[in-house]
Amino acid sequence: MARAFKNTRKGITGHLEPGERQLIRRLFEDIIGMLEPEPSAAEDPLAALVGLDQYAVRPQDSALLRLLPDAVRGDDDAALEFRRLTERSLREQKLAALRASALLLDHSPLQLNEEQARLFARAVNDVRLVLADRLDIKTDEDAQALHDVDDWSQAEDLDTYLALVYNFLTWLQEALMQALLDGLGRTRESE
Amino acid sequence: METMTSAILPAAGAGTACAPTAVLSTVLDADTEAGTRTEAWQATATDVPWVVIVWNDPVNLMSYVSYVFQSYFGYSETKANKLMLEVHQLGKSVVASGSREKAEQDTVAMHSFGLWATCQKAE
Repeated sequence: MARAFKNTRKGITGHLEPGERQLIRRLFEDIIGMLEPEPSAAEDPLAALVGLDQYAVRPQDSALLRLLPDAVRGDDDAALEFRRLTERSLREQKLAALRASALLLDHSPLQLNEEQARLFARAVNDVRLVLADRLDIKTDEDAQALHDVDDWSQAEDLDTYLALVYNFLTWLQEALMQALLDGLGRTRESE
Repeated sequence: METMTSAILPAAGAGTACAPTAVLSTVLDADTEAGTRTEAWQATATDVPWVVIVWNDPVNLMSYVSYVFQSYFGYSETKANKLMLEVHQLGKSVVASGSREKAEQDTVAMHSFGLWATCQKAE
């Protein structure tokens, strides 16, 4: 099991086992695969350059929709227009965080400055959002019900395995957030 | 003008959302009367308040949500925690308000953090 992240003067340090690093890297790669836009021949290269995607549609996959949600409630046309103006750059931002975080995993122990820690937290969070969708976590009670799944020797079916991975990432992200919040507190004290 | 506005808006990563306004005033300032109209238009555009709403979900950690509110909006720990608890307990919270452009930028920023946000005209 990984040790919690610690915020020291040298930055945020986290210890992960090789197997854990490999697992997280694979998950990052999965999400990268989900978010990479499919190249379209009809696409206007200039529009793509400025982040426009006139062909963007609301994702059918509920997990992808959770990563790229509607920004307007109760008005599908407005939501679609907003998506066409912003979705591509949102994808790019998420991809950048995931790719940077995958590279950060090459180092052991993980040594993160604040910006890197924020990117890593975003990447882990996106993985958790997708896993939660696959696990059908819709309410706080659903999340609570999975909370006690922590015995890897019982990982016999896919859902149990996904729940174990989800709980591991939740634990990891909570430790990272505490380290980041410590950093914010320290900045305030010194001001 | 419609096409121009929407062609510029999306590029509006940070701060460029005001680009259409700048273009408009450059064009219209040549004519004094129209220039005055532009100022009126700008005033209206910024005075109509828009809000960013963050909705509850069972995945985002309370610590993460509070950290996002503190680091992105620059809110104090107390204010960030109050908004986070509103989201958690009441199901949603208005976390920011301002011009439409700002609200749209903030909404996309919240999505980049994985928070579930929408924007709309203030009620």
